[in-house]
Amino acid sequence: MKAVILAAGEGTRLRPFTNSRPKVMLPIGNRPILEYVVNALVANGVRDLLLVVGYKKERIMSHFGDGSRFGANIRYIVQDRQLGTAHALTFVKEMIEDRFLVLSGDNIIDKEMVSTLLELGEGHSVLVTESNEPSKYGVVLLKDDRVVSIEEKPRDRIGNIINTGLYSFEPDILPLMDQGVKVGQYGITQVLRALVPDMHLRAALAKGEWDDAVYPWDLVRLNEIVLENRGQAISGTVEPGVTIKGSVQIGKGTRVRSGTYIEGPVIIGEGCDIGPSSCIFPSTSIGDGVSIEPFVAIKNCVIMNNVVIGGHSHLCQSVVDDNVRLGPGFSCYCGAAYVHLDDGFHNVPKIGCMIGDESTTGARVVISPGCIIGQGCRIGDGAKVSVNVENRSTVI
Amino acid sequence: MCGIIGYTGQRQASEVIVEALRRLEYRGYDSAGIVIMNPELKLHKRKGELHEMQRTLPKMNGHVGIGHTRWATCGKPSNENAHPFLDCHGRIALVHNGIIENYMALKERLQSEGHIFTSQTDTEVIVHLIEKHDKGDLHQAVRAALAEIKGTYAIACIETGSGNIVAARKENPLVLGIGIDENFVASDVTALLSYTNRVKYVMDGETVVITPEEVTIYGPDGQEVERASQTITWNAEDAQKGGFHHFMLKEIFEGPQAIHNSLLGALDVIENGEILPSVQFGSIKIIACGTSYHAALVGKYVLEELAKIPVTVELASEYRYSPGAKEFPLVVLISQSGETADTLAAAREAKRRGCKTLGITNVIGSTLTREVDEVFYTRAGPEIGVAATKTYLTQLIALYLIAIRIGYAKRNLSHDAMWNALSQLRTMPGAVQTVLDNASEVEASVDLLVPARDVFFIGRNINYPTMLEGALKLKEISYIHAEGFAAGELKHGPLALLDNTTPVVAVALSKDHTYEKMMANISEVAARDSPVLAIGCEGDEELPQVADMVLHVPCVDPLFSPVVVTVVLQLMAYYTALKRGCSIDKPKNLAKSVTVE
Repeated sequence: MKAVILAAGEGTRLRPFTNSRPKVMLPIGNRPILEYVVNALVANGVRDLLLVVGYKKERIMSHFGDGSRFGANIRYIVQDRQLGTAHALTFVKEMIEDRFLVLSGDNIIDKEMVSTLLELGEGHSVLVTESNEPSKYGVVLLKDDRVVSIEEKPRDRIGNIINTGLYSFEPDILPLMDQGVKVGQYGITQVLRALVPDMHLRAALAKGEWDDAVYPWDLVRLNEIVLENRGQAISGTVEPGVTIKGSVQIGKGTRVRSGTYIEGPVIIGEGCDIGPSSCIFPSTSIGDGVSIEPFVAIKNCVIMNNVVIGGHSHLCQSVVDDNVRLGPGFSCYCGAAYVHLDDGFHNVPKIGCMIGDESTTGARVVISPGCIIGQGCRIGDGAKVSVNVENRSTVI
Repeated sequence: MCGIIGYTGQRQASEVIVEALRRLEYRGYDSAGIVIMNPELKLHKRKGELHEMQRTLPKMNGHVGIGHTRWATCGKPSNENAHPFLDCHGRIALVHNGIIENYMALKERLQSEGHIFTSQTDTEVIVHLIEKHDKGDLHQAVRAALAEIKGTYAIACIETGSGNIVAARKENPLVLGIGIDENFVASDVTALLSYTNRVKYVMDGETVVITPEEVTIYGPDGQEVERASQTITWNAEDAQKGGFHHFMLKEIFEGPQAIHNSLLGALDVIENGEILPSVQFGSIKIIACGTSYHAALVGKYVLEELAKIPVTVELASEYRYSPGAKEFPLVVLISQSGETADTLAAAREAKRRGCKTLGITNVIGSTLTREVDEVFYTRAGPEIGVAATKTYLTQLIALYLIAIRIGYAKRNLSHDAMWNALSQLRTMPGAVQTVLDNASEVEASVDLLVPARDVFFIGRNINYPTMLEGALKLKEISYIHAEGFAAGELKHGPLALLDNTTPVVAVALSKDHTYEKMMANISEVAARDSPVLAIGCEGDEELPQVADMVLHVPCVDPLFSPVVVTVVLQLMAYYTALKRGCSIDKPKNLAKSVTVE
């Protein structure tokens, strides 16, 4: 069976982390979100994958290659203009002969999700789940197991059953998607919404894990979920006098220097240099090639690749993008904050800071909870930042 | 310079051989051929790229065969000169990579003895010599024939009615693939990775008898040699394009991973002083060819800055014939494939002169690794595109690491400076990724270069050799005449060539101490109406005032800037060639590893 994975979108609400990569390539537990989707499919024997790519597609292609590293056989379909998910499906019609799956590449799923979908058998079907925040998603109304209506991001609370974006379709859906796109319905849910009164779209309640990153701080939460129970696996060099507790994974070529204290769940990538005498607390992911200098404390963070964290720094509940260099004595305490995004203010009960690709800070910079520092910012020595900082700004 | 493959086992040999040849095509692609034994020998060969041979290939059943993809050295590309070759009676077939120096004399003698030749190649004499010595044991016949030959070779041959392949090597690469009830022989590991990852390397002067069940290696003295098999950790996917249109683009985008892998293996080695345990030398000589030579030129600046030790750089093909003054430098030899004939000869020459040698190569078990005292592996993974991209970056990384090691061991680099340099190196994968994320800007900018007949590349200081490399990349894949100059040399001649049809690519990084001088040089060029495509630091606001177009790179320390600037130049060459419709992965007249002198 073939599966179409939609991976072309940018994920604008996750900026600055999607400035340099598509949403599906955001790392959670040191693996791109899309890798969870691919693994879930392969675990169910679905190996022929059609990846619809667009925004920053090279990032996806250079990670997944032809898929053989993941036990899959991947073909890429380029959607240059990302008009919507139904529009994406119009590109695959020559490659589909029989029943196929459609999944969004930007949701974390496990293999039970895919097996639930496969068990549904022939006909058109969709996986649904319950949500506490239905207004962020497409809400579906059901009559027995049949979908009778779909409302995209409803303002009023009409129900709490939402569409997960995982579908099993028969090939005859594709001409309908074509027709929908011609009349300006670019999303799959838009097309289905018009069709559900007349078609039989079955819904099944999702069994298994399904989660979605909508805003930057969701990365911390997802990271916490996926890091649980990964077990201990230590390569690299751990010097004498290092304490390691719980589920901790350390990649090859990484050196953990004496006096460092690591409490899992923690994952540290390849080629890092940690310590001496730093503390890493749950649930933290550290990417590849990261240097953490002496006397640093990190708690519940996502640190991406090639980051340098200066000595005596303190980070909590934060997301730090690739190539960031934090000067000595960097401090970001965490707490409740109203975070300002393009779509308004969000009340986040616990958040540190979000720092974009290639930004640098001088010595003793303090960042207040909930601040979003853009890509390529320069923050000078001793600065105290308590508002969002636009891409490529300089703060003195 | 050719690719050879042999198979014996249970599969349809023709399918295995065609697939393997496809992976060996980078070694040559002007003609290809195949012989299958069942039990007569069936031959098919064609001039042109592999798919031409494949298109005309009749159905050939059989489980033993050999194949060849050619890059002409003796005899022009034609159907007749394509390998394999058969003896007079069609009982023995042979493929060969290398050059037979005494073939004229051998050919005359064999002709006078009644052997009939069908081609202009040197190779054909080998198969007739084997025929002459054949008394029923192919292996003994091959050994007797090779004893008469002067030159270099990797050969594989088969005969009617036998499931065995006999192979031999002298100064050309040959590797055995070990399967279950099937075995392989090939020029390169990449040809075998779809079938097995267990290999045994064949050494100079050895011959091998390969049956489906086992491989037996014989030393130069004819005694059986024990050799352990090695497991290759590359997988076949590494040799696929994975969504990219060309291997070159895929390999450019693999730069960050290649650098990361290169550092992974090396940081501990450097920290523990496991490489170059003794630094009892007063100077360094770096020897290389082509792209590796440009890495060597960058290395001169790096070593002199970090290790504070005098460095000279020489082309391998020149060093061999140089008089050689009375000095005993550490000789560093750089070859991606480890099979570059000129570099290997230079390694032997350096040893003969009594120098300690260090090889930098990407291929584990390659010939260079056996010719030098110490080896530094770049670990970039296989590179298929003929234009070197990611392997060049990892050669630079290797030179930085070696400079840090020597500098620290000689106490010319303080602990803090070493720490800082290593930290800079760790950030390189990310800096390169940033350049790649902005590849679309480079793609747009090359419209300035696409229509040009000549393009000049200028730079100063450590980015002077970087621009030489930029010019080489452009000319080798886009066929535009491109030249690199030290910017200060412009006024001593090349300036006369500039007008509004000759674009100039310039690099001026605002943190570099030659920035002001570069700005002056760019103004000089702009005053001659040449369109200027400049590479500058993120946030530089002066550069756009003198240049027609500016591409930005992350503001790394100038000493490390060649890594990021090179990636821009590689993308520039790629997109220019793409827009000019050139055959990017297989430029005309070129081959990936040059195993002829």
